[in-house]
Amino acid sequence: MITPPEVSWIAIAPDLILALGAAVVLLVEVQWKPAARVLGLVTAFSLVLAVGATLLQKLAVEDAMLAADPERLVAFSGMILMDGFAVFSRFALLGATVLGVLTGWRYIEGLGRRGAEALALIMLATVGFSIMVASNNLVMMFLGLEVGSIALYVLAGMSRERPESDEAAIKYFLLGSFASAFFVYGVALIYAGTGKLAILDIRAFFDQFIVTSPTVIYIGIGLVIAGLGFKVSAAPFHSWAPDVYQGAPAGVVGYMAAVAKIAGFAAMARILLTALGDLDSIWLPIVAALAALSMFVGSTLALVQGDVRRMLAYSGVAHAGFIMTGVVGGETQGILFYLAVYAVQLLGAFAVVVAVSGASGARSSIDDYRGLARRSPGLAGSFTVLLLGMAGLPLTSGFIAKFGVFTDAWNSGYEWLVVVAVLASVIAFAFYLRIIVAMYMDEAEEEAPALVPTVRWVVGLAVVATIAWGIFPGSLLDLAANALAL
Amino acid sequence: MVEGILFVLMAVTALAGAVTVVVARNPVYSAMGLLGTLFSVAVLYVAQLAHFVAAVQVIVYAGAVMTLFLFVIMFIGVDTSDDRDERLPMQRFWVGILAGVIVLLAAGITLSGNFDWVPAAVETIPEATNGTIQAIAEPLFTDWVLAFEATALLLTISAAGAIALAHFKGQRT
Repeated sequence: MITPPEVSWIAIAPDLILALGAAVVLLVEVQWKPAARVLGLVTAFSLVLAVGATLLQKLAVEDAMLAADPERLVAFSGMILMDGFAVFSRFALLGATVLGVLTGWRYIEGLGRRGAEALALIMLATVGFSIMVASNNLVMMFLGLEVGSIALYVLAGMSRERPESDEAAIKYFLLGSFASAFFVYGVALIYAGTGKLAILDIRAFFDQFIVTSPTVIYIGIGLVIAGLGFKVSAAPFHSWAPDVYQGAPAGVVGYMAAVAKIAGFAAMARILLTALGDLDSIWLPIVAALAALSMFVGSTLALVQGDVRRMLAYSGVAHAGFIMTGVVGGETQGILFYLAVYAVQLLGAFAVVVAVSGASGARSSIDDYRGLARRSPGLAGSFTVLLLGMAGLPLTSGFIAKFGVFTDAWNSGYEWLVVVAVLASVIAFAFYLRIIVAMYMDEAEEEAPALVPTVRWVVGLAVVATIAWGIFPGSLLDLAANALAL
Repeated sequence: MVEGILFVLMAVTALAGAVTVVVARNPVYSAMGLLGTLFSVAVLYVAQLAHFVAAVQVIVYAGAVMTLFLFVIMFIGVDTSDDRDERLPMQRFWVGILAGVIVLLAAGITLSGNFDWVPAAVETIPEATNGTIQAIAEPLFTDWVLAFEATALLLTISAAGAIALAHFKGQRT
């Protein structure tokens, strides 16, 4: 007699809706070959439903917390957690997907019949990462990671007319598979050391036992950090990022980078802070060293880039370091707040890149931005706000985010890391300023870029969010503070 | 005793196959060497009572994947005059060192007989041998049903991704 599986529909409702949406897009495209607009509407409808389902999840989490019954939030025989942490990360992922689809809409439309696949892949990537952030089981987490990553590899190669896109896809695929192998090997070694795969079980194991010969577990931790470090493009695992950011179609790069960072760091926080919290004497120095290296390498190499997309890639490396500072700090509030803020800024910045350099091209030289303030003042002003937000100037959301993770790291005794982080922020400020100077000080050479309405919305939304969260961060900070992992 | 002889036999064929993969000039021979390695390892899995893994190894790797390899090799055409430059300096030397270190490490661990550093290995020895396929199937469709379904997403993505990449009909610059 086989007992039926333990099913909790609400725990996977957003994922289910998006997966069905992707299936509908693919099937409708085959059967009726509708206009791209129809497929876009299906996608928008699925995304709205998924956001609604996530809201329901949030209510369910609050109910369970009020009833002091967290057991209710463990679903599918302990495979999936529907805790506040997962719900917040899901909101961030869905928000990034909405902004990403809007940014890339003109590009997806232009793909013709392949546009349906692009939309389906975007939705499925979100499903994968959303499973990853909610998983309570390392195998489940790996599956989510692969579902998301493989969809991103294909998206990187969508611009078949350019060889750079092929190169980006193959490079991302090979290095990404390698990193996934690292991750899964690390998971296997942690399993070999503890005999547990579920994150809550691993935590209980370390609460209960003292491992006498933990070498295997230590190697496993190192490999897991390396694997996830690749996904979030932390130095020294960042070498793929500039080529992929530059080669992949600009319309989807912002989305790719944002969701990979959100999911990668959510998974890292879950594994390190929840499962391996008792072993922090082991992983804290590793993460701190990677954070320092990422901030330093990212900031200095970004200084010398002549291409805005490569520069944003290296700035992404530096930001990975800042978020890792938050991991060292050990507070999920700081990490989640930073992730949400950075994802919005990144998507906004790439929307500007799409507006200035085109959604499918490979080049986005800093020369394209010279004199942008004269040609289209609104766009230049928006980009300035977003760049200053990334740099972490006061009165922008980036400042609150940086301040949060730095405080956490300081309180957990990593003062030197905070000093490095502040220095890196100053260096980073220089290259953000370089673009701003080019936009405002130089003479205009070209025509004003034509703005697609969807791109305009994304830029506007990102700017409003950057300023609003910089002046009134309370609501988002509260949300992040309540987004506790079980 | 039987297991020992079986292990030696299969380990030797697995290694011979692996060496063939690297050494053979003709890619078809390389593919055949890989086939031999995969089969030998499958037999080793059976000796470890992992019948399901052995079956999967034969059906998926030795069957489907190898057929695909051979298909691709035949499709592209067997050309023995391929570019075989070794681009990294002292490539063979470093690979030799690395292989030596791994062999020494494995030999050292085996000779010392100390496996304490894998604590879970002691607890999780499969207790039932009456059909490990059933033992895998039951949790797969109960506790692990969501993971099982997530792999279905992977197949969807690979199909959609293949179409997205291959269906391009425009001009390459």
